[in-house]
Amino acid sequence: MDIFTLIFWVITLVWLGFSLKKDKDKTLKAIKMSGGMMKGIAGDILGILLFIGLILTFVPPEAIKGTIGQANEVVSTVLFAFLGSITLIPAFVAFPLVASLVDAGASIVPIVAFLTTLTMVGVVTFPLEKREFGLKFTLVRNSLSFAFALAIALAMGVIL
Amino acid sequence: MTFLKSQLKNNRFLIIVVLAYVAVGLFAPSKFLPSLDNTWYYVKEMLMIMPVILLLTSLISAWVPKETIENAFGKNSGIKGSLFAFLLGSFSAGPIYAAFPVCKMLLSKGASIANIVIILSTWAVIKIPMLITESKFLGPEFMIVRWILTTLAIFLMGYITSRFVKPEDLPADNETASSVDGLVLLNPDYCVGCGLCTKIAPRHFTMVDKKAAIISQTLSPGDGQAIKDAVAKCPSHIIRFHP
Repeated sequence: MDIFTLIFWVITLVWLGFSLKKDKDKTLKAIKMSGGMMKGIAGDILGILLFIGLILTFVPPEAIKGTIGQANEVVSTVLFAFLGSITLIPAFVAFPLVASLVDAGASIVPIVAFLTTLTMVGVVTFPLEKREFGLKFTLVRNSLSFAFALAIALAMGVIL
Repeated sequence: MTFLKSQLKNNRFLIIVVLAYVAVGLFAPSKFLPSLDNTWYYVKEMLMIMPVILLLTSLISAWVPKETIENAFGKNSGIKGSLFAFLLGSFSAGPIYAAFPVCKMLLSKGASIANIVIILSTWAVIKIPMLITESKFLGPEFMIVRWILTTLAIFLMGYITSRFVKPEDLPADNETASSVDGLVLLNPDYCVGCGLCTKIAPRHFTMVDKKAAIISQTLSPGDGQAIKDAVAKCPSHIIRFHP
């Protein structure tokens, strides 16, 4: 286990100890709630993990490098930003998926664009957002998020 | 039978992938075990991080005083309001659509457009448990750089949106129009499927297709308190109760 994960484990367990001591009922109720949410996406998580296994076995790393590697960075970044906008999967499930692509040699710029639009731009939830906040707000927010996702991705490419 | 049907519908992706594995086993058996082997590595990583995410999400929802943060909105719309917005988004659970009703409520309390954009975006991209998962799979350096850039982008977006969109562009609250029938009301569109209401008030709520649903409008003694509890605990504030 790496040091970061270890630190989070320690912090969480210490906090959990205090929490249980202070209000056992409240703590257990909260755990039940997050457990319920987690159970809802358990099938998706297992599905994605099995899917990663297939990709890594059937798609050779050279092919991944070729399509989302350095050569086509601009095209693949815009493409991945679009892909992220129309997909609605929990980010929690997306991290192992993109990590497997990065491990196989994918460039991080399209990956960051995907991660950011995945969570911030919602084409599927557009009608819901429009109903609550109106067309203008929804259009402005989603277009800005898309543009900023590209900017963040390019900046990440320069920095890292 | 209906249970089986809803299970199939809820796990469509998993079923497709399992069928793909069956096909691989039949037509390319030499690739079958390597695929599982590749999966196993990520399963192990996930198992190391999942309990900590689950516990941390629970602890945040139990101890971070969200009501206090929410109540501070109407009064502060400057830098302080934006910081509250940022904190609220960072410490919330569930997908972005769960934030819509919360934001709607905050708007009626006087939150500014900029702060609503900040909550929505923060809620979507940079929640604390998500950062841990990101750091685990893509490295702490990646996570920290993306966090800094995204935070800057979010404050900029809040400012820009408030230049373009004015409060009168937003639709008026249609709460009164929708609350015509029944004591207990619930909008399943924004349900995150945590199932908490079904545990607190099992006589009135049940889960249908991963979403909460109302099964009874009749009140027996003691039910009122249970429903009020469910209203208060619901993470996306979608239950209304007019006794």
